[in-house]
Amino acid sequence: MQEDRFPGHRFLPYLLILPSAAIIIIFLIVPFIQSVQESFFTTNPFGTKTIFVGLRNYMRLFASSDYHKSIVTTLIFSGFVIMIGLSMSLAIAHLLNQKIRGRGFYQIALIWTYALSPAVAGTIWALMFAPATGIVPYIVAKLFGGYVLNWMTNGKLALLVVSAAATWKMLGYNIVFFLAGLQNVPGELLEAARVDGATGWRTFWKITFPMLSPTTTFLLFVNMLYSFFQVFGLIDIMTRGGPGDATNILVYKLYRDGFIHMNSGSASAQSFIIFVVISIAAVIQLRVATRKAIYSR
Amino acid sequence: MKRVLAVALLAVLVLSSFAFAEKTQITWWHAMSGSRLDVVNAIVDQFNATHPDIELTAMFTGSYAETLTKFIASYKTGTAPNLVQVYEVGTQTMLGSGAIVPVYKVPGMVGETWDWAKYIIPIRNYYSKDGNLWSMPFNSSTAMLYYNKDLFAKAGLDPNKPPTTWKEVEEYGQKLRDSGVTNVLSFGWPGWILEQMFTSHNQLFANNDNGRSGLATEVLFNGDFGTMVVDTWTKLAKEGIFLYGGPEYSANTAFKSGQLAMLLQSTSSLAGIEKGSQFAVGTSFLPRFEGYPMGDSVIGGGSLWVRKGQSTKELKAVWEFLKYLGDTDVAIQWHKGTGYFPTVNSAVKALLDEGWFSKDQNFLTAFLQILSGRRDTAAVKGVRLGPFVEIREIERSAIEKAVSGVLTPKQALDEAAQKANQLLKDYAELNS
Repeated sequence: MQEDRFPGHRFLPYLLILPSAAIIIIFLIVPFIQSVQESFFTTNPFGTKTIFVGLRNYMRLFASSDYHKSIVTTLIFSGFVIMIGLSMSLAIAHLLNQKIRGRGFYQIALIWTYALSPAVAGTIWALMFAPATGIVPYIVAKLFGGYVLNWMTNGKLALLVVSAAATWKMLGYNIVFFLAGLQNVPGELLEAARVDGATGWRTFWKITFPMLSPTTTFLLFVNMLYSFFQVFGLIDIMTRGGPGDATNILVYKLYRDGFIHMNSGSASAQSFIIFVVISIAAVIQLRVATRKAIYSR
Repeated sequence: MKRVLAVALLAVLVLSSFAFAEKTQITWWHAMSGSRLDVVNAIVDQFNATHPDIELTAMFTGSYAETLTKFIASYKTGTAPNLVQVYEVGTQTMLGSGAIVPVYKVPGMVGETWDWAKYIIPIRNYYSKDGNLWSMPFNSSTAMLYYNKDLFAKAGLDPNKPPTTWKEVEEYGQKLRDSGVTNVLSFGWPGWILEQMFTSHNQLFANNDNGRSGLATEVLFNGDFGTMVVDTWTKLAKEGIFLYGGPEYSANTAFKSGQLAMLLQSTSSLAGIEKGSQFAVGTSFLPRFEGYPMGDSVIGGGSLWVRKGQSTKELKAVWEFLKYLGDTDVAIQWHKGTGYFPTVNSAVKALLDEGWFSKDQNFLTAFLQILSGRRDTAAVKGVRLGPFVEIREIERSAIEKAVSGVLTPKQALDEAAQKANQLLKDYAELNS
């Protein structure tokens, strides 16, 4: 039996969660159901005519080479942001955790990127790489005999630049969490390892890294959500999905189909597909990673 | 003390609301950013100052696409503005929306008559359906050739003889390359430039008279003419003459910095290009393909749509503003501030009289181009497609695939046509 925490007030707990529940229902659950429903219809922009099309929106997506390409682009992009981003952050956090002079300064200098809005971060990177006026193409041209670095026409380069910008933007956030995790690794364990003659490298992989696993699990999940959804602003500012469709990741394609091409049926179907994929990934990640993560000392 | 103040404030508020009750409040949503926004705001301020009984609020609502999306959402909830600016590719969406009053009906609804012939004919044609104007011309442009006279001179070419044909583009391109120019030619708005080639050679882009006598159900850009155009561009790309410069205005920077000898771009970039360039800027008509019939360049930009379901009072105020935009001085102010066409004939005359065009001939180029072409066929009026926004992106993507060598021009255009036709079919299914 559960302990009665509100004796004599049977309905008080429900009343207290009512505001949160209402917000979740109105702003998350109802729109979700609506968009699932819309994915079975096709509608003209002003909504004056709606036709039931069954699974056609889904079938067209699965048959569309553009959609396949967008999936691949998203996987490359997310893979880059998660893998490169997390390993770099961990390396930097490890360095920041050393007892060196000016540590506070370095910590702030490396963390502040998270405080930037995606629009600002996107503008900074877009200006740096602007083909005719940016500093990076200028340096490349000087170093490599006038080579024209143009990410407006080079899709692979554009994807790389956008991925790098997205990774950089998330670096600060990851570092903060890794740093906190590192500082929680008990000093006795590390000391014991050193006394036993373990190298720094071995200590890191055998003690620090496993001790960090709750943080890593959490960050994996957050970075996945980030690279799937929150990079929207960055893409919109930097490439708008181009050149061609080289940086047209799923969430950006959804936006274009829904809000620019006014095809709400297809956009709803896309959002439901992303929902399913993310849910599966989240379940797998939480199951596998939670089992492996060490939460208690 | 506080209470006295509050009462006084309330009294002022109540009184002022009485005073303002006389004014008709109308709103206008538009997508004009940057230096264009200042011109829009100046015009709106003058309008409000000269029309004390009207309070017009102009609101920048984001890009063209965002403005249209917002208009649609607000129309469904009954909070739509009285007047909205929509880009030319959104024309069919608005025509079929049932959410607007065709502008040609507005004067009659407010008890006036209006002579529509004062608006410049190619612009009027573009936004007309069955001979009547459905939206008010506002910001209209077309594409033309910009070239760097200094680079022409350096290559031993006559800076006052820009290429007339695509064959000459190629010949001049070789000479420019020989003189050390690495980037010869680029475009803005690639899909639109493809459409320009169709209209300027009197070729239909889609069936049913370019979608003007009925909804278009099939695009024609993958026929012989379209293939020949994209073939030519691909050949020029292989020869290192044509450098694909990305969508919209991304090629402008390279031209302004003197790295590009020729640019096909909207006339609305003229003011910006002249301001930002350190060299002599020349302009001319779009290059032609020899042996094809004469057509005309086509309109781009946007127009203003009147929302359905307004009170007569509001409609009167909206009509006052639309008339005001066609005022000679206002049209001149708009043209000089932005580079868009002045929409009325009287403004063209006034500009000519004051010597504006002889001071800077580049402002005349697009005019002469569009006014000297033919206008008796459906092909030159420009194509009207339901899902035009998406189809123009498909065109762009086909051009990208062809010039980068991923597909042959014919393959790229066939693939694009297949996608476009599917979209047209879906559109017809929902709008017939």
